[in-house]
Amino acid sequence: MTNVSEPTNTRAELGGQKSARSSSAFLAHHFATAAQQLGAAKLGMWIFIATEILMFGGLFCAYSVWRGAEPEIFDQAHHFLSKPLGAANTIVLLFSSLTAALAVRSAGLGHRQATSAYLFATIACACVFLVVKYFEYSHKIHLGLLPGHCFGHPGFSEAMRGGREVGTCLRLDASDAPVMPEWLRAVDESGRVRVLPPRANMFFGLYFVMTGLHGIHVLVGIGVLSWVLVRNIRGSFSVQYYTPVDLAALYWHLVDLVWIYLFPLLYLVGKPE
Amino acid sequence: MSASNAPATFQLPDQMSTVAPNVDFLYYFIYWLSVVLFVGIVATMVYWSVKYRERPGHRAVPTGHNFSVEIAWTVAPVFILIYIFYKGFQGYLDAAIAPPGAIEVRVNAKQWGWEFVYPNGGADNELHVPVHKPVKLIMASSDVIHSLFIPAMRIKRDVVPGRYSSEWFEATHVGTADIYCAEYCGGRSRDGSGNELPYEQMTGHWSMHSTVHVEPEGDFQAYLGSIGDKCAVYTVTGQPCPDSVLVSEGERLYTKKACSGCHTTTGLPLVGPTWKGIWGRQELTDHGPVSVDANYVRESILNPQAKIVKGFPPVMPPFLGQISDIEIDEIIAFMKSLKE
Amino acid sequence: MAAVDIETATVHPGDGHVAPDANYLVAERTLRSWLVTRDHKRIGILYLAMIVLAFFLGGVFALLIRIELFARGRTIVDAETYHRFFTLHGSIMIFLFIIPSIPATLGNFFLPIMIGAKDVAFPKLNLASYYIYLLGAAIVISSIVIGAVDTGWTFYTPYSVQSASAVVPMTLGVFVLGFSSILTGLNFMVTVHTMRAPGVTWTRLPLFVWGMYATALIQVLATPVLAITLLLLAAERVFGIGIFDPKLGGDPILFQHFFWFYSHPAVYIMIVPGMAIVSELIATFSRRAIFGYFAIAMSSIGLAVLGFLVWGHHMFVAGMSEFGTMLFSALTFLVAIPSGVKVFNWLATMYRGSIVWASPMLYAMGFIFLFTIGGLTGLFLGALSTDIHLTDTYFVVAHFHYVMMGGTVMGFLGGLLYWWPKITGKMHDEALAKVGFAFVFLGFNVTFLPQFVMGSRGMMRRYYDYRSEFLRFHQVSTVGSWLLSLGLFITAYVLLDALWRGKRAPRNPWGSAGFEWMTETPPPVSNFRETPVITRGPYDYHVATPEELATGWDEVADDEPGQGDKS
Repeated sequence: MTNVSEPTNTRAELGGQKSARSSSAFLAHHFATAAQQLGAAKLGMWIFIATEILMFGGLFCAYSVWRGAEPEIFDQAHHFLSKPLGAANTIVLLFSSLTAALAVRSAGLGHRQATSAYLFATIACACVFLVVKYFEYSHKIHLGLLPGHCFGHPGFSEAMRGGREVGTCLRLDASDAPVMPEWLRAVDESGRVRVLPPRANMFFGLYFVMTGLHGIHVLVGIGVLSWVLVRNIRGSFSVQYYTPVDLAALYWHLVDLVWIYLFPLLYLVGKPE
Repeated sequence: MSASNAPATFQLPDQMSTVAPNVDFLYYFIYWLSVVLFVGIVATMVYWSVKYRERPGHRAVPTGHNFSVEIAWTVAPVFILIYIFYKGFQGYLDAAIAPPGAIEVRVNAKQWGWEFVYPNGGADNELHVPVHKPVKLIMASSDVIHSLFIPAMRIKRDVVPGRYSSEWFEATHVGTADIYCAEYCGGRSRDGSGNELPYEQMTGHWSMHSTVHVEPEGDFQAYLGSIGDKCAVYTVTGQPCPDSVLVSEGERLYTKKACSGCHTTTGLPLVGPTWKGIWGRQELTDHGPVSVDANYVRESILNPQAKIVKGFPPVMPPFLGQISDIEIDEIIAFMKSLKE
Repeated sequence: MAAVDIETATVHPGDGHVAPDANYLVAERTLRSWLVTRDHKRIGILYLAMIVLAFFLGGVFALLIRIELFARGRTIVDAETYHRFFTLHGSIMIFLFIIPSIPATLGNFFLPIMIGAKDVAFPKLNLASYYIYLLGAAIVISSIVIGAVDTGWTFYTPYSVQSASAVVPMTLGVFVLGFSSILTGLNFMVTVHTMRAPGVTWTRLPLFVWGMYATALIQVLATPVLAITLLLLAAERVFGIGIFDPKLGGDPILFQHFFWFYSHPAVYIMIVPGMAIVSELIATFSRRAIFGYFAIAMSSIGLAVLGFLVWGHHMFVAGMSEFGTMLFSALTFLVAIPSGVKVFNWLATMYRGSIVWASPMLYAMGFIFLFTIGGLTGLFLGALSTDIHLTDTYFVVAHFHYVMMGGTVMGFLGGLLYWWPKITGKMHDEALAKVGFAFVFLGFNVTFLPQFVMGSRGMMRRYYDYRSEFLRFHQVSTVGSWLLSLGLFITAYVLLDALWRGKRAPRNPWGSAGFEWMTETPPPVSNFRETPVITRGPYDYHVATPEELATGWDEVADDEPGQGDKS
């Protein structure tokens, strides 16, 4: 990897003399050159991305274990996921990756306003994604397509009494009697009535944890991109230094990539009807 | 190959099963190998640290290279390790695969006791097996992971809720051996209000002790006869079981099915309500008031979470599939006999 | 000797930057300068303070366990409290103490110095990882206060889902601690790749750095899996997601696979740094280049890689297929080879060296003694048929204490004593340090050697009470724990006492050829006066002259050879 190549430069800079460095206010004191700093930043970001892949990897592992054990459940249950909404979200995220990449390009060219515009577009797409997710989640809560104990309990209810939902299936107090998942009969996304057994709660457990963790990463991405946008507006970046834009976009590409895997595995894979 | 069964040594218990000699052979092989290696390494280290200690006139010799030595001490251990792995795997397969025709004993593990159910339906908290016959334990847990370990037989296997696991052994001589739970499963040492219980009432992972009795074939058959349900003798001929037999069988089940772990007969509430005087009483549950009658008792045994008496935690495990109808009748009869 | 008077080095005011020549301890003296420092050396010391507290807390629980087990029946507490004792002992020792121990303290302090860098790649991230550690530790401690956890540090389901104890705060605390570990590892990896001074090639890296790098690799790749495992456990408790609950269609064994996929590599996070320190100590105190440098470096990487492939050996009786157990057993024996290679190389280093019986060397030799026992007892557990008998008994408890405490803690204490002069500028009382070592070594063996025999005779782990045949063993073990504690207190006293009453340390009290000894003691803020250009390896005792070993590489000493003049 990048190594310090010129001892004389190094000594001059690190001996406390400021003259060689005053033009590069972004260069941290412990780095000898801007190239070294950028190389370190990028390597660090890639290592961080590796950790994220391993974290999601555990979930994909759980998915494959369950899919192998209960293929029919997965096949029946996945019809309750809206393919149009999922596809829309996929296109939104892909587009947002494009705008993120364009933001990096225009930052590298020094086009500050274009960079702001692209960053803003990326953030807007992320918000659209979350709004669509909100609609998907609330529809599932309404039908009772919930993970674990709450499967078959619409609106997180404990029971239906006279058409009303009463109590709650969430058990935050260990001394309450436990709730079991119920059979669920509902209309799926294609208009067909389906009946799912209690153990279909596993599919929705994986669905909510995987898309939920992904959604948290989208939210964090919105935060990171917004902060980079603010810094860009303030003029912190230049042709010589736009590393934060670069790294934020890299993170965003990861978030997009995880969704590219989630979408087909959860929404699309199943037996032809 | 199997050596004759050895008595207990300083490190290992009695050998009481057919797989034990192989396990112990490997154990002592690794042990002596370790002793030789350890003594060699430590003696060399101490000797050299003294022989080459810093002192006037003594200088360190520059480190060279010795590629062949490095290869040697990297490759040589491989052969020994392959041998150890092979013996270990062989022994494991012997212990994992029960011979055909083994006597099957069902094991129900729960917090915090064992129940052994024999082919004739009789149940006990202790394991009796005939000598020189393979016995296969088919195990299930109704709550958390337990593990059944018989040190003298050198066998151990986790008992996992939601699935069956099995292990087997063939005992080589008559005698008794300890059975322990080998997977931490909690415990109870406080009552519902958080006050500490006396030591004798504390129960948990450490107290899941049982015993395996290896006996001659004749004694084993007699034992099977004795644990069979005494009411069976009546019901099999179509007669009703007399009340005294129902009550005494119910009292036996009170201990054997581990009801005593949570319900007393003395009036003292424990994890669950006391049975003394409970029959016919009105109780308030989390699903409304009930009368403690045959239906409620039956439901509480098979599906205890349906109605929990207020003030008690919802921790009773279900006995669905682990108790027969006549056994429920026996428990009901026993409960009825515990008047205030 | 260098002419700089470290006691009077002052700060250059005005630009907020500290003059890089000032000794890092005195350059800024305010509390705030410590709490928001970006200096890896100060961060290492901040971590050290917390690590020592964590060790003390975990140790208190250990002593309580041993007191309860001194007699049969109820000795000092009831069973539910005892279950919390061993859970907290394990969780605090593993997550608050041993995982961060060497990397976050000695690694933080010395990794940049050993490669001639001014700091780690991301100093602010380094500070952040310290505060994340504090946050995680606070959450874990709070879980103790609100009821503690009684599941064992392994949190096996379904018990951990059902237990009415503070599982969620504990797991969330550990989750947060994991991020601290990941960020430290990330920082170290990038530092080693991008910030080596001129001449520090990969084949001249000190073995301590190789060890930190291998450890960082594991931290970065394994800890995220723990993160997701703990998240899923918390989700199961709070939201009832049934991934591990058989009643909902889940599988308790899946939890074990997820958990051990992290926790086995984690034990290599624990031991590789200890081994890395031992390599440094053996070379310095034999006055000889380490034998088989490349083999030791590669064995650290080998442990990191192979360590990911053997997690199933914790689950031989859990219910895996015979094929699975066979595979894991074979791979487990493979991972024994790199550890053996290191021990042989260390011995070969001592051969025809010039051995100094200083206290750090005693710890290094103690490491070899104790780790050899720990490693060899791993053979019993890697072999399938003997493992069936020994797993979940005290044999396993003894095995892992021999490698974790007899290994890592011995390495840690040896490293602290070795580098204490460098860190503090003071010399500690060597004689008393050796007394402390004697008690630690003796007490450790008295505590844990009987536990092997207890285990093979049938004493189970996590038992509140036991059969009468084990009484004597438990009593001996408990007395050993008191001897061990005495030794640890003596050692702590030695280190603290040096701060106040220690003599000023010379630049290189041990005469080591290591790069970290070639700068001032204590180091300046920027680690070196001038970025060094390295022309020799860190163990080249027969290239470096005695003058160079005494005076280092500063150009301040005009008539001493500078670092560029070596041939």
